[in-house]
Amino acid sequence: MEASTISQVKGEEVTGCPVMHQDFSTTRDLGDYWALANDLRESCPHFYNKYAGGGYWVFTRHEAVKDIYKTPEIFSSESITPWEPNPIYRFVPTQVDAPDHIKYRRILNPWFSPKAMEAAAPMMRELCRSFIEPLVAKGRGDFIEDFALLYPTAAFLSVIGVPVSYTEQFAEWVDMFFGGFGGDPEGAENMGKALSEMRVFWSEQLADRRINPQPEGDLFTYLLNSTVDDEPLDEEVLLDMCTVLTLAGLDTTRAELGYMFHHLALNPEDRQKLIDDPELAPLAVEETLRYYTIIFGDGRKVTRDIEFHGVQLKKGDMVYALVSGANRDPRHWERADEFVIDRKKNNHFGFASGPHRCLGMHLARREMAIAVQEWLSVIPNFELDSDATLKERGGGAMMALETLPLRWEVGS
Amino acid sequence: MKLQVTTACQGHGRCYSLAPQYLESDDEGFVTIRGGDPIEIPDDQRELAVELVGTCPESAIVVIDD
Repeated sequence: MEASTISQVKGEEVTGCPVMHQDFSTTRDLGDYWALANDLRESCPHFYNKYAGGGYWVFTRHEAVKDIYKTPEIFSSESITPWEPNPIYRFVPTQVDAPDHIKYRRILNPWFSPKAMEAAAPMMRELCRSFIEPLVAKGRGDFIEDFALLYPTAAFLSVIGVPVSYTEQFAEWVDMFFGGFGGDPEGAENMGKALSEMRVFWSEQLADRRINPQPEGDLFTYLLNSTVDDEPLDEEVLLDMCTVLTLAGLDTTRAELGYMFHHLALNPEDRQKLIDDPELAPLAVEETLRYYTIIFGDGRKVTRDIEFHGVQLKKGDMVYALVSGANRDPRHWERADEFVIDRKKNNHFGFASGPHRCLGMHLARREMAIAVQEWLSVIPNFELDSDATLKERGGGAMMALETLPLRWEVGS
Repeated sequence: MKLQVTTACQGHGRCYSLAPQYLESDDEGFVTIRGGDPIEIPDDQRELAVELVGTCPESAIVVIDD
């Protein structure tokens, strides 16, 4: 890690704050990003990360990350990517602040509530089985490509009322988008293309539902009938909402499933605990979200000059709350660096916290718990099918294993 | 010992999955305490109470000792 203590940053006096030059968008070996987060957190509570044309503050420890999430009036969500303070997309309601934010959440919360997801669970389980069944007799496969990219996508589409036959198309768009999200210039073109193609799809769906409203189980009809301040949502807002739901809902679950099954492939004793007690799956999911968090960090824009955890922040500065650092901070966690499958006091930030906590968390948890239960019921024993070091996509976007080759006994 | 939920709740839902006998979700996912807030819980449930406090990312659950 390159870090040098300097006193001049952006022409302002900064006492003793180390400066680093880190690119969080690059693909690295599996585990390197969490190791980096541990190093950063233990060497300093905050850094200034400088890159060509800009820079932002990084807060590495649990206490500061918690305070950033707890004070959205100071840490605005106008931009959530500190390397891009003025992004080309606008996620609604992700990048909307108070007082409007809650109005949009009030619309969306019930659709993705625990009760709604409980009602959707049998359908999710059925979909999950349909993706696992053809794999059982194959004896090997890439868990990401054959399962983790597809099942959460299909489950999400069915929850919002889009035919699951669009699963592969959506998986492709989401992959293209996140290729550019972390700031990699080579990915920018594909990112733009995916965004515009998705918007065309959503606007066709919306146009269709204006003529053919579907009273049950169709998010588009529901959104078209929803109001903010007694006004219907305009087309731009509707498209922004649909886009963020897709981007936030598909890639993330694929990524967490990848890390969870990687862990289970390497830790047969944890696998056995889940086989013996499938009801343990929800706790195992939470621990996966803590220990293998895919949010390397979460960006916010500072709304006013303020001293925060020893740093003088200026209005307009970007900060990066290092969630991956916080989720393994030994100042907060007992056995911070251990995967404790039945951990109960697990107030991790894997779904963020504060008013912008992940809307789809109840969907994601269900999907993951169902995936573990269903997979283990037919493929109880599996292991890594590669000696090569696995790679993970950079933490600039959500971290994700690129591949996960697994093998298992046929007929086991 | 009493259990109380503050307005800091953002609807993470971990508490009501750990203690469905005391807590439940409203239609948006925010927690409500069954039978009034705060609610009296027996002293032998202290471990559960501590888990509930420790499971909330918003520090929205408070235990009040009598």
